[in-house]
Amino acid sequence: MPLALQALLPFSALLGAAAIVRRRPRRRGNGWIAAGATGLAAVIALVELLRLSPGEHVDVPYLTTFPYADLAIRLDGLSLAFATITLITSALLMLARQRVRGDRRDPWAAWLLTSAATCAVIFADDLLLVYIALQLLTLAWSGALDEASPRRRGLRLVVQVADIGLLLAAASAIQSVGTSAFSGVPSDTFGLAPFVLVLLPVMVRIGALTHIWGGPKAAVSFEPAIAWIAPAGYLLLRLLALMGGRLPDRPTAVSLFAVGVLGALVFVGMALFEQAGPRVAGLLLAAQASLAIALSTGDQPLLTVASTWFWLLLVPLAGLAGIHRRDGSPPEALTLLGLAMVPGSVAFVGLWLAGLALNARGLLLAMIPVGLVVVLAVIAALRHVTVRRPSQLDVATAWAGVLLLVAAFPIIAIGTLVVPAAATVRLVPRGMISVSLFGLATDFGAWPALAVSVVVGIMVGLAGWRLHGRLPLRARGADGGLRFPSLVPVRPGRPTLPAWSQFVLWGAFAAVVGAVAVRP
Amino acid sequence: MATLLLPRHGARARSSFEGLTRRVITIVGALLVGVILASRLPLGENPVLLSAVPWALGALGAAWFISPIDQPERLQGQALMVAATAAILLVAVSAGPLTAALAGAMALTPIAGEHWRLPGRFRPALSALLLLLAAAAALLAAVAPVSVVLVLFDIGLNVNSLVLLGAAILLVAGAAATPIGIEWAAALGILAVTAVAPALRWAALAGLIAVATTLDRRGERAAWLAAGALAITSVLPPLAAPSWSARVQVVALAAGLALMLFAARAATLRVLVLPTTALVVMVALASVNVAGLVRFQWIAAVGALLLVARAALTWLLPDTSGREVVRDGLVAALLLLAVSARDALGLGALAAVLLLIDVAVVRIDDVPSASSRWSRLVVLARSNWPASITFAAATLTVIAALQAGLALGLLAAALLAALQLAPLVDRHAAPPAPLRPRSALRWVGPALSVGCGIAPALVLRMIQLAR
Repeated sequence: MPLALQALLPFSALLGAAAIVRRRPRRRGNGWIAAGATGLAAVIALVELLRLSPGEHVDVPYLTTFPYADLAIRLDGLSLAFATITLITSALLMLARQRVRGDRRDPWAAWLLTSAATCAVIFADDLLLVYIALQLLTLAWSGALDEASPRRRGLRLVVQVADIGLLLAAASAIQSVGTSAFSGVPSDTFGLAPFVLVLLPVMVRIGALTHIWGGPKAAVSFEPAIAWIAPAGYLLLRLLALMGGRLPDRPTAVSLFAVGVLGALVFVGMALFEQAGPRVAGLLLAAQASLAIALSTGDQPLLTVASTWFWLLLVPLAGLAGIHRRDGSPPEALTLLGLAMVPGSVAFVGLWLAGLALNARGLLLAMIPVGLVVVLAVIAALRHVTVRRPSQLDVATAWAGVLLLVAAFPIIAIGTLVVPAAATVRLVPRGMISVSLFGLATDFGAWPALAVSVVVGIMVGLAGWRLHGRLPLRARGADGGLRFPSLVPVRPGRPTLPAWSQFVLWGAFAAVVGAVAVRP
Repeated sequence: MATLLLPRHGARARSSFEGLTRRVITIVGALLVGVILASRLPLGENPVLLSAVPWALGALGAAWFISPIDQPERLQGQALMVAATAAILLVAVSAGPLTAALAGAMALTPIAGEHWRLPGRFRPALSALLLLLAAAAALLAAVAPVSVVLVLFDIGLNVNSLVLLGAAILLVAGAAATPIGIEWAAALGILAVTAVAPALRWAALAGLIAVATTLDRRGERAAWLAAGALAITSVLPPLAAPSWSARVQVVALAAGLALMLFAARAATLRVLVLPTTALVVMVALASVNVAGLVRFQWIAAVGALLLVARAALTWLLPDTSGREVVRDGLVAALLLLAVSARDALGLGALAAVLLLIDVAVVRIDDVPSASSRWSRLVVLARSNWPASITFAAATLTVIAALQAGLALGLLAAALLAALQLAPLVDRHAAPPAPLRPRSALRWVGPALSVGCGIAPALVLRMIQLAR
C-alpha cells in the first residue's frame, strides 16, 4: 500500500466511524463502533511504529492549502508512539463509557472527532499545521461552534489564546528559515523566547487539569487525557526534538527545572488540602505533568528517556483518572497510588531513571525536591484511598492492572514506545538501556522493577493486614462487599496532616545529610 | 455641468439664523483652506488666481456637503468635490482627452447614485453576470502571470493578478452584498483599482463614495477625508519637493487607509469603498521604499490601536444604541497591519486580501441561529475557527507582521488574542447591513469564507503571480 495511504489509515478509521455514528444516533452499538475504530487506529499506528527503523522518519506531503504549512504527515518514533498510546487510551475510555448504564447522552461522534484532532496535532508535519490542528482540537472537545456559547467558555478561550504562543513560534521559524516544517528547521532556530512561547499552550493544558473536574461531571471525562495531557506532552517533546534535545542554555534548563518542581509542589500542596476526590486526582496529575516538564530539561539521553516515559505513561494514567467510580473501588485506589508516584507505579520508573541520570552528572541533590513532591503526593493520596474488595472486573480495574503490569515489566513499553520516541527527541546510544523481564539496566544503574513491584505489593498487603486490628475492616458493607478502612475523615473539617508526616520530614533531612556526606 | 443637472423642486427649505451662520462659517473656512492649499501647491506655471479655481470649487463643494441647505445642494457639493478632485489631478498630472473626459464625468456619479437604480427584471441576470466575471477574473489571476496595461484610446488600465483578484472581490461584493439597484457601482471600484491615470483613479473613488453614501450616510465625512488624503498623494510628487513629498505621501496613504477603515464600518462603504481603497493603497505601497514603509507601519500600528480602542469605547458608554461590533474593529485593525506588513513571502498581501473578502462579502448580515446544517455552516464561516476565512487571515497577519517587525508581530498577536475573546463582548451582534432583502446569493459569503479558509494558498498563488 502506498505510504500516503498508510499514513491516512488512522484518520480514515476515526472519521469513518464518526460518520457512521452520526448517521445512526442513539444506537446502543455506537459505542462499540467508536471503541473498535479507535482501537483499530491505535493498532495501525503501532504497526507503523514497529515497522519504522531506529531514528527513521517519513514525511508524507499531500497538498499546499495553507501558505508555508503543507498538508503533510510526519511519521517518526515520537508521533507514532504518542498516537498509539493516545488512541489506546481513547479506545479504553470509550469502552469504559460504553459500560456505563443509564446515561443517554451520545458522545461518540464528538469523541471520535476529538481523537482525530489529537492525531492531527501529533501527525502534523510543521508547527503552523500543529497550531491549526490545536484549534481544531479545541473546537472538537468544546463543541462550541458558536463562539459566544457558554459551554466551557473560559477554558476554551484561555486555551485558544495560549495557543497563539505556538503560532508566534511558528512565525519566528518562518521568519528565520522560511519554513516551520520539522524537517527543514535547524536545531538552533528556536531561542529562549520561542521556547517559552511554546510552553504557554503546554502549561495552560496542564493547568486545565486542576479545575475542570471539580464541577458536575460525566461518568467518563474524555478531555484530560486526550485533549490536554497528550497534546501538551507531545508539544513539549516535539519542540525539544526540534531543538536537538536540549534547551538553549544551562540557566534556562535550571530555571525550567525549578519552575516544574515548584509547580509540582504547589499542585501537591493544593491536593493535600483538597477534599473532593476527583479534584485530588486532577491536582496530582498536574503535579506529575509539572515533574515531567522538569525532567524534560536535561541534556542527557537517559533523562530524555525518563521524561519520555513520564509523558507517554501519563496519558493512560490521566485516562484512568478520568473514569469516575464509586468511592473505595479498587481502580480508584490504584489510580490514586499511581498518581502518588509510589514505588511500583509507572511514574516511579521514570523518576528512578531520572535519578540515575542526574546522579551520573553529580546532580542527585536535584532529586530531593522531586522526592518531596512524591512524599507529599503519597500523603495526599493516602488521605483519600479507600479500598473495597472488587465485586466484578470492569474496564477501569483491568486498565489499572495493566498499568501496574507495565510498571513491573517495563519491557512492555520501553522498547516499543519509549525508546523510539526518545530517540526522535535526541540521539539515544544503542545499548544505553537494556530491559529484561526483571527490570531495567543502564550504564548508571539498574531498576529491579519486578522485585520492587512484588515487594511493594507484599508491603501493601501486610499494611492492610496490620491495620486490621487497629482500624477494623468492615466485615461486610451495606452493599455486600468487603471493605478496607478508609483514611478519609468522616466529615470534612480543617485540613490536617497525619501524625507520621513529621517522620517524612526527618527522613528527607536524613536523605540530604546522606547525599551530602557521600558526594565526592 | 453636473450641478446644473440636479433638478430643484420649488423653493428651497427655509433657513434659520443659526443654520445660515453655520453655512457661512463653513464656506469661509473651506475656501480659506482651499486658498492656502492652492498657494502651497501651485499647479504648473499658472497664476495663483487661476490655480486656485479648482481648489476653491472643491472647497465650496465641501462646504455645501458639510452644511447643506437641502438634499440637492448636498449632491451638488459632492459633484463639485469629485469634479475638483479630477480637475486638480488633471492639471497636476497630465492625461489624454478621453481620460480627462471620463474623470470629469465622474462628477455625475452622485446624481446617478441618487436617481439611477437598475430595473428589477435585470437584477438576476446582472448578478449572475457579475459572478461569472468574478470567476473569470479569479481564474485568469490564478492560471497565468498577467501584467499588462490595457490602453483603450488614451485610457490606461493596469491589469495584473492582484488587480484581477481585487476586481473579482469587487464584482462578488457588487453582486452579493450591495444594496439592490446599485450593483453597477462595483464598476467604479474596478475603475479606481485599474486606472493608470491618477485623475481617473481618485475621481472614480470619490464617485464611488458619493454613490455608496446615497442610502446610508454613516461615516461619509470620514470617508471623504480619507479620499482627500489619498488623492493628495498624487498631487504631491509634481508639485512639492521630492524629500518632503515622499514622506507626506506615505503618511497620507496610511492615514487615508486608517480613516477609511474607521469610516467604512457599515453598508456600501464597507462593501465596495473599503476594498477599493485598500487595494489602491496596496498597489501604491509596492513602490514605497523601506524608510517609507517603516513610517507607514508606525501609523498603521497606532491606527490599529485607535480602531480597536474606539470600538471598545462604545461599550463603555451609557448609550447602548451606538455600540459597535468589537470584532469588526479588530478585523479592521488586523487589515491595517496586514497591508503594512509588506513581507518577502507575500503573506501580508494575502492576509489583507482575505480580510477584505471577510469584511466586504462574509460579515455583512446577521448570523442565523445554529439549528440547521446550513446555519451551522454560516456560523462556521463567520467564526474564528479553522476553515473560516477569518482564522486564515488573522493567522497569516500575525506571521506577516512578525516578518515585518517584532513589535508589529506582537501587536498582531495581541489583536488575534482579542479577536478570540471578542465574542464575549459582541455575542451575536452584527454590523449594520446594506439594505437588501434575503437573496438567492446568500450562499456566496459562507462558500467564499470556507473556500478561502481551507485553501488560502490558492489566493497566495494569484498574488505571487502579480510580482
